[in-house]
Amino acid sequence: MSLAEIAGALAGRRVLVTGATGFIGGRLVERLIVEHGAEVRVLVRNLAAAARLARFPVTVLRGDITSSPDLAVAIQGCDAVFHCAYGTSGSQKHRAHINREGTRRVLEASRAAHVGRIVYLSTLMVYGQTTDGDLDETAPRRRFGNAYSDSKLEAEQIALTSGLPVAVLQPTAVYGPYGGVWTESVIRALKAGRQILVNGGEGLGNAVYVDDLVSAMLLAAVQDAAVGEAFLISGEEPVTWRELYGRFERMLGMERRTVDMTEAEALAFWRQWKRAQPHAVGEALRILKSEQPIRERIERTREGVWLREMASTVLPEKVQQRIKAGLGSGGRPSRTAAELPIHPLSPEMIGFFRPRTRVRIDKAKRLLGYRPAFDFETGMDLTEKWARWANLL
Amino acid sequence: MTKPNTSKVRLAVVGCGAVAQIHHLPAIAASGRVEAAVLVDADEKRARALAERFGVPEVATDFTGLPGKVEAAVVALPNSLHAPVSIDLLRRGVHVLVEKPMAMNVRECDEMIDAARTGRAVLAVGLDFRFFDASLFVRNLLRDGLIGEIRGFDLRQGVIPRWPFATDFLLKKEMAGGGVLADFGVHVLDLLLWWLGDLTVTGYRDDAMGGVESDCEMTLATASGIRGEVEVSRTRTLRNTCVFEGTRAKLEVGVWDPDPEIRLSIAGSEVSLSGHARGDRGSALNFTDVFVRQIDDFARAIRLRREPFIPGAEGRRSLALIEACYAQRQLLELPWSVLPARERVS
Repeated sequence: MSLAEIAGALAGRRVLVTGATGFIGGRLVERLIVEHGAEVRVLVRNLAAAARLARFPVTVLRGDITSSPDLAVAIQGCDAVFHCAYGTSGSQKHRAHINREGTRRVLEASRAAHVGRIVYLSTLMVYGQTTDGDLDETAPRRRFGNAYSDSKLEAEQIALTSGLPVAVLQPTAVYGPYGGVWTESVIRALKAGRQILVNGGEGLGNAVYVDDLVSAMLLAAVQDAAVGEAFLISGEEPVTWRELYGRFERMLGMERRTVDMTEAEALAFWRQWKRAQPHAVGEALRILKSEQPIRERIERTREGVWLREMASTVLPEKVQQRIKAGLGSGGRPSRTAAELPIHPLSPEMIGFFRPRTRVRIDKAKRLLGYRPAFDFETGMDLTEKWARWANLL
Repeated sequence: MTKPNTSKVRLAVVGCGAVAQIHHLPAIAASGRVEAAVLVDADEKRARALAERFGVPEVATDFTGLPGKVEAAVVALPNSLHAPVSIDLLRRGVHVLVEKPMAMNVRECDEMIDAARTGRAVLAVGLDFRFFDASLFVRNLLRDGLIGEIRGFDLRQGVIPRWPFATDFLLKKEMAGGGVLADFGVHVLDLLLWWLGDLTVTGYRDDAMGGVESDCEMTLATASGIRGEVEVSRTRTLRNTCVFEGTRAKLEVGVWDPDPEIRLSIAGSEVSLSGHARGDRGSALNFTDVFVRQIDDFARAIRLRREPFIPGAEGRRSLALIEACYAQRQLLELPWSVLPARERVS
């Protein structure tokens, strides 16, 4: 059964989407309403982030996925729940808590409300550091070593062992309009500095255009064979990291925004950078703690701009979030490519960019009827149109 | 001869959401011309917490008991309540400063203006961007023809909101009256109307699909045929300036910050001038200063029995323009919105 054939299956059905103010959840809501005629509810913490959702006839409920009473109200009468929310702010510990406990409570509330299907959005990262060659769902799950991946792994296990009608999707690098990590952050990183390509970027980037992932989620909500299963979701063919970053460089009309390094060189660069950092990190934190007028004054200086750039690319996530919250956005001084800083890669990320892993999507094709409709060029062309419109280029 | 009344205007703040907390109450506290006597909100807890913070003696959950207690009210309720609440207060002689947009439509604006006449009350509209020094500077500069004949204008305003909404009214058509056009757009349209005179809409597109728009774009024309484009967004960070192309110079002014940069480029010259407008006090404005100006103007209008800086008839103009936009609305087509299943079905 293909996507076109399930078009009527969700019509008029009440569904809840968590994480709907985000990249993937947001697009899912659009398609559930416009394409499938579903009655969509969203549970939202921050109403200011709901502007894009409000374009559609959607029921916006204010609440938190770690609150059982909020969830009970939101899930009541729902036929399906798409659980896309994950921790995006606060400490790593807090984010992990949102991923684990949020999932547990969404499942509990779904059980109480006799929800017919729960689609849980997991990640490729539950397989830990991957190796060269094919990867499918029979591969062992492993800790990756960061709070996001490891708590997503725990949440996935909670979902799959819940005894509920759950389907788990494990997307690869999701990109597309309104995308964060693999779209806007890449653009910002290339504008502010240079990206290291590990081993010349010959590792394989398994990427998926957002609409293909959303199609897989819709299929997973309808196909009976999805229950109790996990599915890797990626585009038809991987691209090399060189191709992926090269496409963003072209989009930006910028050259030489990547730097080739061997694994050993990238690691040495990281160590060197780490040794030099305590001062800068301390400085950034000091600014954050300072009074508003002082902070605003510093923001306007070259150093302020530099700190913001650094925050957006290289600092630990926790510090990044605080700096983002503390400093506004502003103009950057122009520099030639050769003068731009190189964004260091942590050992985990070097391990992520190195292998030539080929993610197999055969299971999703077989059981869900998943067929990627966007090859890399098509997906990136649309992404570029959006990025231009969004004033990011 | 009677002595002029110089006492502070006793007022109520009706609606204790984000704008009351962040802008109106701090401005009232900083102003020497007004004092907050009552805070009104359906959520009594919220009103009480704010009353404590700003030292306001009384709270209420209903506005109907205000006449007799206060002379004036700041109406900062969801948009759909602006007209009914203001009309009731104005008819009973309570002066009203109503938040933007003035109402849901022109008909409501007219009823509010009538009610002010009936109750002999001041009706001021909270289009605070007009109080920026830069706004006045641009208005005078254009009025006096300093950039020559205006050939065209281009305004892009887009901010991803971080506003701490107390309720979700801005996301609901029946309570907000519209999306980003009614929310942010009303400010920039009001500025353009003030700067350029009456405008007609020659095309309007937005992205609403059964809800309220988050992005819109329009083409406008002045009475003398000057054409311009306006784009407003609450999902994107745009340029946030308005550019005027004149025969003698190009003028660019920020349309979001209370102390925006103004850039003047003389035609044929390689250098340009960039700076900030300054009023009497010579320093940069922040939003509290702007709201103090607004509330002081309202108080002066009450005490001196004169029109406020932005009376109902002025607030009505931007509403009329918004109404005209929605009347000729077309869908803003975004290429990435193409839905794969639809393509396949067709």
